Amino acid sequence: MTALPPPSAKKLGLVIDLDTCVGCHACVVSCKEWNSQSPLGAPLADLDAYGAAPEGTFLNRVHSFEVTREAGPPVVVHFPKSCLHCEDAPCVTVCPTGASYKRAEDGIVLVNEDICIGCGLCAWACPYGAREMDGAERVMKKCTLCVDRIYNETLPEPDRVPACVKSCPAGARHFGDLGDEDSAVSRLVAEREGFALMPDQGTKPVNRYLPPRPRDALPEFDVLAPYLEPVTEGAGGFLGWLDRTLGKI
Amino acid sequence: MPEGDFPLHALTQRPMAMYHSWGSQNAWLRQIHGVNPLFVSGEIWAEHGFAEGDWAILTSAHGEIRVPVARMDALNGKTVWTWNAIGKRKGAWALSPEAPEANRGFLLNHLIHELLPPRGDGLRWANSDPVTGQAAWYDLRVRIRKAPPGGPDHAEPDFAPIASPVPPAPGTVRHGGRTS
Ligand code: SF4
Ligand code: SF4
Repeated sequence: MTALPPPSAKKLGLVIDLDTCVGCHACVVSCKEWNSQSPLGAPLADLDAYGAAPEGTFLNRVHSFEVTREAGPPVVVHFPKSCLHCEDAPCVTVCPTGASYKRAEDGIVLVNEDICIGCGLCAWACPYGAREMDGAERVMKKCTLCVDRIYNETLPEPDRVPACVKSCPAGARHFGDLGDEDSAVSRLVAEREGFALMPDQGTKPVNRYLPPRPRDALPEFDVLAPYLEPVTEGAGGFLGWLDRTLGKI
Repeated sequence: MPEGDFPLHALTQRPMAMYHSWGSQNAWLRQIHGVNPLFVSGEIWAEHGFAEGDWAILTSAHGEIRVPVARMDALNGKTVWTWNAIGKRKGAWALSPEAPEANRGFLLNHLIHELLPPRGDGLRWANSDPVTGQAAWYDLRVRIRKAPPGGPDHAEPDFAPIASPVPPAPGTVRHGGRTS
């Protein structure tokens, strides 16, 4: 069994905005690309890659849900999920070899693949299903918070963020120190009432999610409608000619 | 076109994952979007008494396809849609003939003629946007009915496999690898 370090002042993690995530999976693919090239471990394998039931290792996945509501139209919510770098990480304490560990300096939870025996206990212990056993290497894989990017001085400064944060076209993923209440991510969480996922599991996750904002409701009457009535004269000039010509086709 | 014959709109959308990832591997993208049911609005679902696992026959002025359906409520009541470019002919993309894309996957292409119907002027006009020349995907109107039970467990039409110009694909892919 492996011990956790004393709680660190610095708690690096992600803040994920469920309001703006559009479910594009750019973060999923860029995560797999970066971590398959990483010197930290084996590539993330795909079994039966072109067959009937492909099954690969991903450190970050996006699940899409449809929510039907009493008031208002149904909505689709995209829910990205990766390791939450818990303060009381049960995947660490359960590990028989010390392979699964939490860093004392910044709280990142990692696996030392060289001493991982692939027993899978940590994946059972994680209430979020955030760990995946690699089908080819038989070692445990998980989100590294791109520890090999965020401190990497060979990368230009703006690139020293996790690959998923860098690639998200919607700006839905934020990286920073959630232990510092003045950090941009902590302020964002305070402002948007960010929440911890399943706090009842008692693992004290560091990552936070920002809830979807309330949707616009239909107004009772449409003040603009009278202005949108068709105009009878039709358009003049070149656009009018184009419209009439295309209308004949 | 009389609305009564083809009261529904049929749309397709290319999965966003593919737009962001043209350079990366189909082995990954097919795990993200490997099957494409026809998403049917709650209204159409109830009207036709569809149940989970059902198949439908979708008919346009040009053709007919038989496809698996799934209910979606966050959808305009008179619309059906599916992911474009998931369905593949058997043998294409070096996929195994058992791949879901080549069995339950399908395309709306079979419902869309490349020419507009004849108008008696001796000419046939392209069924595409007159300015950009893009295929007129969003003009497609269809009708739907429940497929009779006992049909095959694959979408129709179903063509014979095409010969692959490349050798069979590997079983396990390990893209990348240690760089130190
Ligand atoms: S799979 Fe590896 S990291 Fe997880 S508990 Fe077992 S030895 Fe530890
Ligand atoms: S890249 Fe951003 S928008 Fe796309 S799925 Fe991931 S979090 Fe959502």
